[in-house]
Amino acid sequence: MKLREHLTGETLALAGLVLVLALLPSLATAFFVNFVMTQTLILGLAAATIVFLAKYGGMTSLAQLLMFGIAGFMFGNAALDGGARGLNLGWHPWAAVGFAILVTTLVAFVLGAVASRTTGIYFLMLTLVYGVVGYFVFAQIVEISGPGGITSIQRPELLGPPVRLYYAGLLLSVLAYAGFRMLGRTAFGLALQGVRDDPVRMASLGFNVPLHRALAFTLAGFVAGLAGLLNVWWNGQIDPASISIGPTLILLIIAVIGGMSSLAGAWLGAFVYVLVLTYLRDLPLVDRIGITEARFNTVIGVIVLVIMVLSPEGLTGIVQRLRGTTRKELGGIRP
Amino acid sequence: MASTPASTPASTPASTVEVRAVTVAFGGLRALRGVDLDIARGERLAIIGPNGAGKTTLFNVIAGDIAPTTGAVLIRGQDCTHLPSRHRPRLGLARTYQKARAFAGLTVRENIYLALAGHRGRHRALWRSSADRRMRDEAAEAAARVWLSGQLDAVAGELAHGQRRQLELAMAIATRPDVLLLDEPASGLSRGERERLVELLESLDEQLTLLLIEHDMDVAFRIAGRVVVLADGEQVMAGSPEQVRADPHVHRIYLGTEAPA
Ligand SMILES: Nc1ncnc2c1ncn2[C@@H]1O[C@H](COP(=O)(O)OP(=O)(O)O)[C@@H](O)[C@H]1O
Ligand SMILES: [Mg+2]
Repeated sequence: MKLREHLTGETLALAGLVLVLALLPSLATAFFVNFVMTQTLILGLAAATIVFLAKYGGMTSLAQLLMFGIAGFMFGNAALDGGARGLNLGWHPWAAVGFAILVTTLVAFVLGAVASRTTGIYFLMLTLVYGVVGYFVFAQIVEISGPGGITSIQRPELLGPPVRLYYAGLLLSVLAYAGFRMLGRTAFGLALQGVRDDPVRMASLGFNVPLHRALAFTLAGFVAGLAGLLNVWWNGQIDPASISIGPTLILLIIAVIGGMSSLAGAWLGAFVYVLVLTYLRDLPLVDRIGITEARFNTVIGVIVLVIMVLSPEGLTGIVQRLRGTTRKELGGIRP
Repeated sequence: MASTPASTPASTPASTVEVRAVTVAFGGLRALRGVDLDIARGERLAIIGPNGAGKTTLFNVIAGDIAPTTGAVLIRGQDCTHLPSRHRPRLGLARTYQKARAFAGLTVRENIYLALAGHRGRHRALWRSSADRRMRDEAAEAAARVWLSGQLDAVAGELAHGQRRQLELAMAIATRPDVLLLDEPASGLSRGERERLVELLESLDEQLTLLLIEHDMDVAFRIAGRVVVLADGEQVMAGSPEQVRADPHVHRIYLGTEAPA
């Protein structure tokens, strides 16, 4: 690829954004960095795997939070070495990381292979079933989820100070974003887009369509697993409720808020979500008009509704329209 | 997967493509009712017939997009009746579709590149190698053959109808197939575009076996050495373009009731 293809306004803007984010710890409060932004990066990374599968593969997956959760549970089981919760294997933290990612990736491959012959609404339903069954597996087999969750999970020493976790989130986010974008131009990525546009045609060109879908799902599961590790380090604990149907839908909603055809939108959607989650209760009058924390989901629902009415392409679509760019992003989803 | 065991046939068959007593039933509808065809290497065969005659269905069976209900398909002597379509490019088979089906979100170059990558078994590469660059160059060459050099980086979904048909053709010829199936390549083309199409088809390698479904009799009769007429899923006649043109039966069922002037 030629250099000028990379030097678009969009790329420069993103590079500037990454620079600001890299300097953020010396610009913003520790709360904003370690709570708001770290959470944004973690959720954005997970939501980006939904966008990746939808944008390049035409698959809307509701199983990404399950992958996220599997990685967290596996790390907790492998790394802890005492107490009554989980398997307590007591491994070295980095061995636990390898184990968690390996299990997550293998599960993603198997689930992806099973789902690879379905498309559209059937794929969505099947991955929803994955999410629900996965939740029940962890909820009912307390040996691997601890009664009421696995707690007191420590992160590896390298990531001890909270700001390092922020930087880990930033690094993985940048790598995932750039990686997904570059993948779109490789033989694998182009073929994946071909599978999205016309699977029958792809088969007649010689491609193994189900295998291609399964591999894309595996890659998305791997990345969601990385986000899940960051999450469990950030939270210090994980319980089955965190991967139940509600949070599963929240992750999809984050992707929808940002726009399902925009990778960057995943992080934008996560940012909006975390802002609402964090600051809604501090807004004046919020209590008086009856919006309490318990009604938080209603507020998110209304926000999604407004965004969807304004633009089916989410916030990214609104931003693009404001900039007057009607040019469709290459390889984007057509309505 | 990368080896090509199928490229050398077990014996030297008389026919490149053999269709034996193929029937296809869609529920109660019998789209093909016992079709037999022997197509020799290098032959130019046109398949004509009214809408719904089963022409596209016959292509789908030969290309493996659907399996016949009964009967067999042999490609270079090898029984391919139940071979999935994705294994057929490696037998040297390429096809176009009646409705242009280029990948709408990809550029012209990327579309042709995918045809090449599928044929060469380069499906899952995660980086760009010299093989990749070669395929991109070859994609540009194939685009030039169908007069799309100026549209290399245009998104396929935004091409005009005629250009989309040209792209379809480029994807099929880029891999230098031994057997090429073209489903109504001239449909919707302007007179000038048809002329260029005929020119292109005439310039194809002599060894290439061409099966052409075409409604435009002028195009079909200029290209074909033999014409097969299908109606209601059956072959009603076959012969040279002159014989078919002169046949009163063909006129009644297909070309209209009037005899030629
Ligand atoms: N996938 C399918 N399912 C059901 N019926 C089909 C299918 N494909 C084709 N047909 C029917 O089979 C008959 C032959 O169709 P086709 O092969 O497309 O005809 P042609 O290409 O000669 O116009 C038509 O009656 C058509 O409606
Ligand atoms: Mg047809």
